[in-house]
Amino acid sequence: SVCVMKQTAANIDKAEEVLERDGPNELLPPKGTPEYVKFARQLAGGLQCLMWVAAVICFIAFGIEFSRGTLGCFDDLYLAITLITVVVVTGCFGYYQEFKSTNIIASFKNLVPQQALVIRDGQKNQINAMDLVVGDLVEIKGGDRVPADIRIIFAQGCKVDNSSLTGESEPQSKTPECTHENPLETKNIAFFSTTCLEGVATGTVINTGDRTIIGRIASLASGVGNEKTPIAIEIEHFVDIIAGLAIFFGFTFFVVAMFIGYAFLEAMIFFMAIVVAYVPEGLLATVTVCLSLTAKRLARKNCVVKNLEAVETLGSTSVICSDKTGTLTQNRMTVAHLWFDNVIHAADTTEDQSGQSFDQSSETWRSLARVAGLCNRAIFKPNQESLPIPRRIVVGDASETALLKFTELAIGNMMEYRERFKKVVEVPFNSTNKFQLSVHELEDPMDLRYLLVMKGAPERILERCSTILIKGQEMPLDEQWRESFQTAYMDLGSLGERVLGFCHIYLNENEFPRGYKFDSDEMNFTTSGLCFAGLISMIDPPRATVPDAVMKCRTAGIRVVMVTGDHPITARAIAANVGIITEGSETVEDIATRKRIPVEQVNRRDARACVISGGQLKDMSSEELDEALRSHPEMVFARTSPQQKLIIVESCQRLGSIVAVTGDGVNDSPALKKADIGIAMGIAGSDAAKNAADMILLDDNFASIVTGVEQGRLIFDNLKKSIAYTLTKNIPELTPYLIYITVSVPLPLGCITILMIELATDIFPSVSLAYEKAESDIMHLKPRNPRKDRLVNESLAAYSYFQIGAIQSFAGFTDYFTAMAQEGWYPLLCVGLRSHWEDVHLQDLQDSYGQEWWVSVWGLLIEICQIADVLIRKTRRLSIFQQEKVCNKITWEVSILMGLIKQSLTILHVFPLGQWWFVPIPYGILIFVYDEIRKLGVRRHPGSWWDQELYY
Amino acid sequence: MATLKEKRTCGQRCEDFGRFVWNSDTGTMFGRTPEKWVYISLYYVAFYVIMTGLFSLAIWTLMYTLDPYTPDYQDRLTSPGVMVWPPTYIEEDVVLSYNTSDKVSQRKMSNCLSNFLKPYNDTSQQSNRNCTRGEYFKQEKFEAPHHTKYSCRFTQSMLGRCSGLDDPTFGYNGTMPCVIIKMNRIINFLPNNGTGMAPHLNCTILSGHDNIDMIEYFPTNGTFDLSYFPYYGKLAQPTYVNPLVAVKFHLVKERKAKIQCRVVAHNIAYEDSYEPYQGKVVFLLKALK
Repeated sequence: SVCVMKQTAANIDKAEEVLERDGPNELLPPKGTPEYVKFARQLAGGLQCLMWVAAVICFIAFGIEFSRGTLGCFDDLYLAITLITVVVVTGCFGYYQEFKSTNIIASFKNLVPQQALVIRDGQKNQINAMDLVVGDLVEIKGGDRVPADIRIIFAQGCKVDNSSLTGESEPQSKTPECTHENPLETKNIAFFSTTCLEGVATGTVINTGDRTIIGRIASLASGVGNEKTPIAIEIEHFVDIIAGLAIFFGFTFFVVAMFIGYAFLEAMIFFMAIVVAYVPEGLLATVTVCLSLTAKRLARKNCVVKNLEAVETLGSTSVICSDKTGTLTQNRMTVAHLWFDNVIHAADTTEDQSGQSFDQSSETWRSLARVAGLCNRAIFKPNQESLPIPRRIVVGDASETALLKFTELAIGNMMEYRERFKKVVEVPFNSTNKFQLSVHELEDPMDLRYLLVMKGAPERILERCSTILIKGQEMPLDEQWRESFQTAYMDLGSLGERVLGFCHIYLNENEFPRGYKFDSDEMNFTTSGLCFAGLISMIDPPRATVPDAVMKCRTAGIRVVMVTGDHPITARAIAANVGIITEGSETVEDIATRKRIPVEQVNRRDARACVISGGQLKDMSSEELDEALRSHPEMVFARTSPQQKLIIVESCQRLGSIVAVTGDGVNDSPALKKADIGIAMGIAGSDAAKNAADMILLDDNFASIVTGVEQGRLIFDNLKKSIAYTLTKNIPELTPYLIYITVSVPLPLGCITILMIELATDIFPSVSLAYEKAESDIMHLKPRNPRKDRLVNESLAAYSYFQIGAIQSFAGFTDYFTAMAQEGWYPLLCVGLRSHWEDVHLQDLQDSYGQEWWVSVWGLLIEICQIADVLIRKTRRLSIFQQEKVCNKITWEVSILMGLIKQSLTILHVFPLGQWWFVPIPYGILIFVYDEIRKLGVRRHPGSWWDQELYY
Repeated sequence: MATLKEKRTCGQRCEDFGRFVWNSDTGTMFGRTPEKWVYISLYYVAFYVIMTGLFSLAIWTLMYTLDPYTPDYQDRLTSPGVMVWPPTYIEEDVVLSYNTSDKVSQRKMSNCLSNFLKPYNDTSQQSNRNCTRGEYFKQEKFEAPHHTKYSCRFTQSMLGRCSGLDDPTFGYNGTMPCVIIKMNRIINFLPNNGTGMAPHLNCTILSGHDNIDMIEYFPTNGTFDLSYFPYYGKLAQPTYVNPLVAVKFHLVKERKAKIQCRVVAHNIAYEDSYEPYQGKVVFLLKALK
């Protein structure tokens, strides 16, 4: 039981023995997948499998042809080798990318080995926290990380931040008394990896390493299996389609070939050639290039992607469940408003102090700043003069830190300032009197009065005041002033800010002469009839980039749901501040107040916004939660526990959304795992959260997520373009067989030729599409619906196959007939010529001019207008002329390269195109014009029949 | 992705498919309403009509631009092929095999040759000109009737003892069979590049040297006379006949030999192993008992 004392080790020899037994005090990283498995996984995706099958088929075909001594059988071997090379090279590439990001993540761990102050054999020693064992006696003080699970045996004002474990944002005080059987509830246990905020404590280590509470949660989360990413699902879907089509067409041609009298083996080779021709060799490279490029781009923007495919997931995200603290906000209390001279002044809350400041000329302000600066126990850690003030590390609680930094900025060197006002006595804050005071000597050595400064809960402070400082003048605190105080207090409170009141008094020189013995316990001095100086309110302000980023999410159709452990009012204020709750949106309660009707009578559908606290959430069924998420577009969950975070994520997923979750605490790791994409914070995030996440924001900045979304969408679009390109060429490759069989023309396109087109010329253009820039309106579209907006859909296939593919086929036929006719074979003679053409005994076949041909079958490579195809596929929606850089350099280089390769095909005894290069150009122009017309229609008439049928 | 991964039973899948075929809620059939099916069909009909129109236009333009006399390109066909008559095959190899004691097999061979030589008889060749031997018969203009060019006369009788005129069996009744070698015609092809040297046939024995006593060529030396070149095409020379060379082999002993007959001219290629009929022909000659 947690409450029973155990024998302490506190002995060096014993400690070594226990260390031997229990192992070092550190969280073992979740059992990593062995490196070779990771590599193997890179080689075993859907597309990769398709290519392996194709390679095996090629080997078989090679075997067959080689044994029969067919000329050119080595083409098959080369093809198989190329296929395998493509798989292995892209596999290495992907593996390297993931390896690199794992390294970046790993570099964040253990930057500084944690130290612990341990008492062994009665001696205090600073040792490595890793060497702690159960039974060790350790001391912690404010600012330390708790080095293991410890039971407190002595504490003085010790407070710990358990937020990474339980999500509670309030500091928890720790005392030696055992208050609860549950270790998470009791006051005498401090947990491994939480932070001690203030005070000192001594305790015995009760658990180390993975046996600590946090270790258990971490290992729990790593047990949750990884969900398949949307892009993996889409690619599988595509592979299914491709495999189905390939086998269908291959089998059809096999049957037809058998029917028209080919030998079984030859028909088999037909079958294999068609199956292999259907394998999109370029696509694998495109996918890998797309993902790695984007991962690189994101890394430059401080997003590290652990799992490459997660990049695309971010693009399909429709709901982001965001943490508040640290992600949306700066994670530091900052003075936001001041009330003095009966006016609310706004302070500068920006991270870099670039905002507007208020008028500081008033005498009241000087007094208020003095109180705030003197009645403050927080101090800067030494040697930080070079750092900007907001970045300096302070020892003290959050609001005192805020006040210290604020006064440091406003007045200047506070440490020196406090020296001038020598502190005589101090009464620290406690929960019963709810104020803090100190008495100081004045800086003017001639003035022998003492100055008493006090701060605390505003209503308690006001009780003790009889006057109020207005423009430097003390005025009696009458009803009118009290009322304006109330209004200001309410106003600031409703902004979700923490408000403190400040007052002071010059103690009577006669009553309290120099050397008077002030007693902090007795409080033998004036503590009423003080002079009220003003109110200062503080908040953890939103990051400057967040409102803009939330706005971008909104235009991109992504819902941002805030899930926080904070107070509903604060949460709501920040939500309104960053735009998660938009201006003019009301909650049910707001409507009730406005219409002066009971909450029950309000039509829930009228309220756009909704703030649900953890308490309310506990009483809701999952259907009610779904309903709430469905009916209120703007949601804030406050005071939620980590388990509830998981419930919210599940509810969003039930509604069909793809959910991104941000989190930093250990307790967030289940939700991070459950989410379609888990995003951990690099600075505030715990290792457990980082392990569970797919992506890590190195700067904890929400705005980086938006960049990620944009990149993810770009990937999906570019893949779609690449696939459209890949699919299109299947038709001009198949139609030659079609006319070969139906109208018996000499075979225009040999099997090997098809393979050469595929391999030599198609990988590069499809990869070039990966470099495509975003179509400018990418962030103005709704996120894709994973059930409807597939990577490969009907309209994409129909457009590629039956329209562009058809035009290309016609271009191919034209080219074929032109070449034939110009060599001497008129189109009409070609029809029905097949049997003579392939007759090995007929060596004096007459052409249309009477020439006699000895040539056996020569392959004629049809030129397909794939260059035009690459161009049109660059955009799906916008006209190519609207794209900023019409042709990026790479596409051009690739087109030229493609041309060169086609020329070099001559070497491979494939019929060279020679002078027939230019025949299909008009068709290329036709494709271009046709696609421009299509895009114009799609842009001009969104939602019309044209858009529905022709936009892919 | 819980939403996408639900395991569905077969029944549900069938139901889904049924709804795809006919969805009564939206009135869609295979994903479209009948009205939309009509529209999309019309669109595709129009699309293909236009495409076919464009294709026909392209082919028409192509035919319009073609020269009726000579093909635009002759880069594929630069060197003539050579054929042997009678062309009897066993699989892909030319095998001339007959039985000296079997009249039917002899007649098959001789009939094949006499059929082949029909265009070369005197009556057929009446209209052709008797050209000057030993030089190219070049014609710039269309001087023959009906806007054509003249062709040179090649008569059966030029093949001497292999003409079939005095021996209608072409020697197949015994051990001295005739074969006829034809060189394919190529428009504007000049053997030996116009140097004035006539190409001639050279038959060599690849195997069975002992089985052949003597090889006779008709016309003498196996010459393809220069006057038959160049060829101007079907339209310009409708009555053109290929010059021929007949070869008579005197078979002895095993009466079996593998022979290669090559047309010798320095612009006739014959060494491409991929193209067995380019500039030469290889055949097996067998006279069974």
